[in-house]
Amino acid sequence: MEATREIYWNIGHGVVLPMYLLTLAAVGVLVWGFWKRLPLYRLGKPLDRCDRYEERVNRMIGDLLGQEKVARVRDGGLPHNLFFWGFLTLFVGTLIIMVQADFLTPVAGVNLLKGEFYKAFSLVLDLAGLVALVMLGALFVRRYFVRPEGLETVNDDIVIHTLLFGILLTGFLIEGARMAATELVQQPDLASFSPVGKVFAQLFVPFDTSSISASHKVFWWVHFALVLGFFCAIPYTKLRHIVTTSANGFLVPLEPKGTIPTINMEDETVEQFGAAKVSDLTWKDIFDADACTTCKRCQDRCPAHVTGKPLSPMKLIKQIGETAETTPDAALPEVIGADAIWACTTCRACQDICPANNEHVGKIIELRRNLTLMEGAFPGDEVRGAVGNLEVNGNPFGLAYASRGEWAEGLPVTLMESGAEVDILYFVGCYASFDKRNREVATSFVTICAAAGIRVGILGKEEKCCGEPVRKLGNEYLYQMLAQENIELIKGYGVKKIITTCPHCFNTLGRDYRDLGLDVPVEHYSTFLHGLIKEEKLRLTAEAAPFDVTYHDSCYLGRYMDVIEEPRSVLTKAGGRIREMAKSGYDSFCCSAGGGRILAEEKIGTKISEARVSMALETEAPLLVSNCPFCLTMFEDGIKTGGAEGKLVVRDLAEIVAERVKA
Amino acid sequence: MKSLLIGEYREGRLLDTTYELIGFAGQLGAESAMLLVGSDSQLPAFNGTIYLADAGVCGEYNPDLHKQLILEVVGKLNPDCIVFMHTSYGWDLAPRVAAALKCAQISEIVAITDNGFEVGCCNAKMRRTVRSATGRTVLTIQAGAFPVAGREGTPCVEQLTTAVTSTLEFVGYEPAEAKDVDLAKADVIVTAGRGVGKKENVPVIQALAKALGGELGASRPVVDAGWVDHSHQVGTTGQTVSPKLYIACGVSGAIQHLAGMKKSDFIVAINKDKDAPIGEVADLLVVADVMQFVPALTAKLQ
Amino acid sequence: MKLLVCIKQVPDMESRFKPNGSGTWFDEADLAWRMNEYDEYAVEEAVRLREQLGESAELTVLSIGPDRVVEAIKKALAMGADRAVHIQDPAVADKDPWQIASIIVAHAREQQYDLIFTGMQSQDRGSAQVGVLVAEQLGLSCATTLVGFSYENGIVTAKRELEGGIKGVARLRLPALVTCQLGLNVPRYPTLPNIMKAKKKEIAALPVDGLLAEPAVAVTTSFHPPAKKGGGVVLEGEVGVLVDKVIGILKEKTAILR
Repeated sequence: MEATREIYWNIGHGVVLPMYLLTLAAVGVLVWGFWKRLPLYRLGKPLDRCDRYEERVNRMIGDLLGQEKVARVRDGGLPHNLFFWGFLTLFVGTLIIMVQADFLTPVAGVNLLKGEFYKAFSLVLDLAGLVALVMLGALFVRRYFVRPEGLETVNDDIVIHTLLFGILLTGFLIEGARMAATELVQQPDLASFSPVGKVFAQLFVPFDTSSISASHKVFWWVHFALVLGFFCAIPYTKLRHIVTTSANGFLVPLEPKGTIPTINMEDETVEQFGAAKVSDLTWKDIFDADACTTCKRCQDRCPAHVTGKPLSPMKLIKQIGETAETTPDAALPEVIGADAIWACTTCRACQDICPANNEHVGKIIELRRNLTLMEGAFPGDEVRGAVGNLEVNGNPFGLAYASRGEWAEGLPVTLMESGAEVDILYFVGCYASFDKRNREVATSFVTICAAAGIRVGILGKEEKCCGEPVRKLGNEYLYQMLAQENIELIKGYGVKKIITTCPHCFNTLGRDYRDLGLDVPVEHYSTFLHGLIKEEKLRLTAEAAPFDVTYHDSCYLGRYMDVIEEPRSVLTKAGGRIREMAKSGYDSFCCSAGGGRILAEEKIGTKISEARVSMALETEAPLLVSNCPFCLTMFEDGIKTGGAEGKLVVRDLAEIVAERVKA
Repeated sequence: MKSLLIGEYREGRLLDTTYELIGFAGQLGAESAMLLVGSDSQLPAFNGTIYLADAGVCGEYNPDLHKQLILEVVGKLNPDCIVFMHTSYGWDLAPRVAAALKCAQISEIVAITDNGFEVGCCNAKMRRTVRSATGRTVLTIQAGAFPVAGREGTPCVEQLTTAVTSTLEFVGYEPAEAKDVDLAKADVIVTAGRGVGKKENVPVIQALAKALGGELGASRPVVDAGWVDHSHQVGTTGQTVSPKLYIACGVSGAIQHLAGMKKSDFIVAINKDKDAPIGEVADLLVVADVMQFVPALTAKLQ
Repeated sequence: MKLLVCIKQVPDMESRFKPNGSGTWFDEADLAWRMNEYDEYAVEEAVRLREQLGESAELTVLSIGPDRVVEAIKKALAMGADRAVHIQDPAVADKDPWQIASIIVAHAREQQYDLIFTGMQSQDRGSAQVGVLVAEQLGLSCATTLVGFSYENGIVTAKRELEGGIKGVARLRLPALVTCQLGLNVPRYPTLPNIMKAKKKEIAALPVDGLLAEPAVAVTTSFHPPAKKGGGVVLEGEVGVLVDKVIGILKEKTAILR
């Protein structure tokens, strides 16, 4: 007897028409549910997220099948993925059966579901069901008994769990009943390919044929009803993420990470800058709320949130969606709260981890643009002062602009205005120019360059702040003023390559200035040094005894620019034995100074820099190395205020390298 | 050379600064008379004529009335210079007199030199030497810049009366906000300036004050920023102090601040900037980072 | 109601000042310029009054100086002034307060302003004269050093800052002039739409020649850094060593440490 089974056993082919009609109706409810949400998205401004179509489709399919982003956090992510693949397999299996029974058999008279293929098919589906059931159980226990901190459980969750448990259990019950009446009796060998079904079949063995047949019918209809319920529930519950989160894989921003729309300052028709209301955001910003699964990963990684500031990236996403739905004319700064809006360090940890590809940082920037450009607001008076200083002296400290190049006196550095030829323009930045501690980094960098035979030029007093902190605080106007001056200057000197020691300058000059017309290669010194070492232009003397060190990935180098390995390689070549912190690489934890927060006092909650310093202390390495002037400043501070003096020293990568340069 | 000194009197009290005017006149070598809107029960010790208008009749400061009185005395006396303190009274009234007399005014004099009067400029970072091009000159002098005259002599009083119509009406005084410290009585004051960096650093300065048994002072920007309460503010708009030891931590030395503390017996300034104006008045300038030096000093003292 | 606010563009006080060729004022090379801080408070207060009065009022901002002062004027316009007068004078630094006041008076006399705001003094010159001289020459009621201002029915209530934290309150009838002290208000940060609008506002350029008839009454003969206090000791070096030295000196020179 060939291995196969009778489809619609005990149900009869008469069910086909009503079944398809009901399914069609359920799909109709699903489509209708989303259709009704479209006006909600249309509240937002237009945004083209359908360009580069093929690339988007590929990304979406990759995201969908790989579920890689979901798996990044094992807790919750792993059971969800296994459940997803199990459930997906069952869904595909059901589709195959549908095609076989209602198309291949009646139309072509071919049966694929037989023999070895059928055995494998049975086994795979049976195990998929088991995996889905067990994982669903695990997720249930996690949500209702383990209750991880910050996980919000709503009514949707119980509905979804009930539906899914019901579907999986009734599925196995149908199989068990059918097997008890057929396979177990007729083909016991074949039954072994449905191990779970076989167990369920045992439940029915004691009963007579007609009872089995009757209960099979009942379970079949209940199963079918639950599936229809599942379809219908998708647009109205959190299940909508099946569609919206998948769609977000298609709708991802394809421009370089960290790109912020450059406002056209010449356009006099614009009356609103930034987002005061939901309608000032784009449709995608509203859609993101629907794609959010409230997995709270963003919140768990948000440095502001975990140190007690009133910001939760998850809540922000949700609040925008809720506002669009309930009070579309409400003032967003009031809904979200100015303190929450200002608390963001734009560290991108939220966006990086979001399995739904939601875009948190861009929303914050738009909210800040409204506060800054429309209301002239600041996160604090100290920022008002710093912004005034930037306007007058081109640095946030208010120091005389004419003294900007003084750090380089007596060092092997050429002023660009002298006209001498140079290999690189070193864009020094405000901190390395004026801050005593960071001047040591600048000095180290030019010392290294001299040893490698690189001729370094600087702009000196002509250089101005790159504008990054104020841009991230929403002051696009001042950013563009500063940027334009720098760009004209750099273009005027015909610079071929720019190196920065500041990741913020690096991001700004290398990416953001492109929108304003600067097209010169820009590199952060860590990759530049890595290249010099590789080309053997720079040789380091690794110390006889290697030293223990922990390395901090600055947000704007790691998460924003994907520079993770090169600085580590340089550090290792210099003799460093890296002891990684619990949060490193793409999971790194901000120092607190991004997003213009470098200009602001941290008045709410505990200090982010201290939290990071304590993570460094956990590695027991006596040395913390960073690659960013803001990080260096914050950690110097965090070590002092966090009581880590004597236990931990923070230094910049350039300082470590400079001490080990072979002449 | 004849000078007319304009004394200050407020709410029934002669202000001490009046003696600085006499000290200035002495340095100038001028024969001087004084005009005072006050009362004969509180006259300064002064050898010369005092033209006295009764404050009981004139009321508190009214610029139109005071200008009129001055012009009358100028008419009688024909002085070469009319001298005010550079205070809220002086800088308000002096230009009115200068305008009426169409003569030069030289503001906030800190010293007398052979080439003219020395005045501060550019937030006390620089100095100008200024000469008058008119026969008569109105002068205002910086509080604390000139020696206080010894309280001796008996004035010859001449009563003045005048009446004017004014478009300005004095309503009343608002007292200074309640003080929780009386800096004037402190032997040691340790002051936090903008150089301490942030509010969280203020306790470090306070700790040094405590270690020395003194009080915490603050410069205007620190008070304006809300780091320290106004009652601790040293300077012309806060309290004028003269303790035995004054330690200025990260205070650059705006002129208003210097005027409020320069009479201290011994002044130590801690500042990163060697050229900060506070260096002008400091007996000891320590060029160092406040947040490094102060905790170290406190630790050593304890 | 016609309002005027007079502003000055001054170097940032963090700049390093060097005497110019004639040795009577600073060399302008390498200086960063900004609106005199006192004047920012004056502009803010004037704009607040302009907003309080609505369309019945017009606020003019006036500044004297070379072309660079237009930057300061633009800021005042962005803060909310309606129109501007730029009195073009490349040699403004050579003029004494009397002459500056006379220039303003020559313009203001024609315009019949009801209320004029100025800073209490400039950060660079610090004479604290111009505002009062203008008021006297125009016969305006005047109050200086304001830390509080309100206006109702033709009456200005001015809170003056006196010494020791005491304030004196006075009432002035219009026309009047007030000079503004630091801390009078919180000067606003111009919003972008207002910056854009300001670009279209009128800036009337008047050459100074037609407005100045007065000679200088005070002459600056020298501009120089202050002499260091005699006997002042300057200590530099490593913190630990400095601490010991300072304690030594305090023990020797003061009665505090024994």
